[in-house]
Amino acid sequence: MLGAVMIEAFPSQLPWYVIGPAIGLLVIGLFAIANKPLGASGAYMQVLFFWQHRAGTEVWRCCYYVGIIAGAALVGVLRPGSSVGLQYGLLGQALPLPLLALVLFTAGIAMGYGARWAGGCTSGHGLCGTSQLSPASFAVTITFFAVAVGVTLVLHALTGGLL
Amino acid sequence: MKRLGFLFGLLFGFLLAAGRLNDYTAIHDMLLLRSSYFYLLMAATVFVGMAGLQLLARVHWITPLGGPFTPSRARVERRHVLGGAIFGLGWAVAGTCPGAVLAMVGVGNLMGLFVVAGLFVGLMLQGWVSERPTARQAVAAHAGLARA
Repeated sequence: MLGAVMIEAFPSQLPWYVIGPAIGLLVIGLFAIANKPLGASGAYMQVLFFWQHRAGTEVWRCCYYVGIIAGAALVGVLRPGSSVGLQYGLLGQALPLPLLALVLFTAGIAMGYGARWAGGCTSGHGLCGTSQLSPASFAVTITFFAVAVGVTLVLHALTGGLL
Repeated sequence: MKRLGFLFGLLFGFLLAAGRLNDYTAIHDMLLLRSSYFYLLMAATVFVGMAGLQLLARVHWITPLGGPFTPSRARVERRHVLGGAIFGLGWAVAGTCPGAVLAMVGVGNLMGLFVVAGLFVGLMLQGWVSERPTARQAVAAHAGLARA
């Protein structure tokens, strides 16, 4: 009974016209209150600085970092059929676990390196920078979208549609 | 400020997971141009964000915690394109990005932790590379001396 209510109450994916504007309001909210961008890779940097006990660490960004995980965990609990595990979609089916781990780790390195060099990632440049009409953010966003779509389509072709 | 940070994180993580940005397959479908969902989502976010930030700038909004609101606009440099390209490569392979992967871990897909570990290494690596201009300058100076 409760399960049925939760299925009614929590769909597997809320519509884009709910999530999109709501994230937009978060972007505005953080700028309006604290004059700060809602960027994820910047938060990784602060977690790194916190861990290194570096002076001037923005501890609130570490709280923000933990908050993202907690907020998503809430959805995991509410959404029927969610489970804790090592699944990774098609990529998980295509690769044995140790290789999958290595590939994901390497992809993470590429994203971390690229994000710090470019000064932000999908959230910092893609959402916050573009919202500020920053030319650099449009350049970064267009570049990572073009490369990601291109690489994905090439991988799709190379693997015969497996990925 | 710490509580505010946690609250914004909580809401952001909730929205990311509620929109399935934590889901490799959903992101992969977007990058294969099979689904318009995330393109529409992102456009809606930027549209709302742009309108709101324009308004804040227009009324010369004073933020309670961070002084006057000042939109930052940066010129395009080489690093934006090169960094963005390397980022896009990792994004295509992992089917997740720095924020989304935290949502992935949050909902219980623990393979995301390998991406998180990689992100920390990549961020440190770039810092280490960029903090070594002195070495590059030394090489350049050496080359200059050799030429002279």
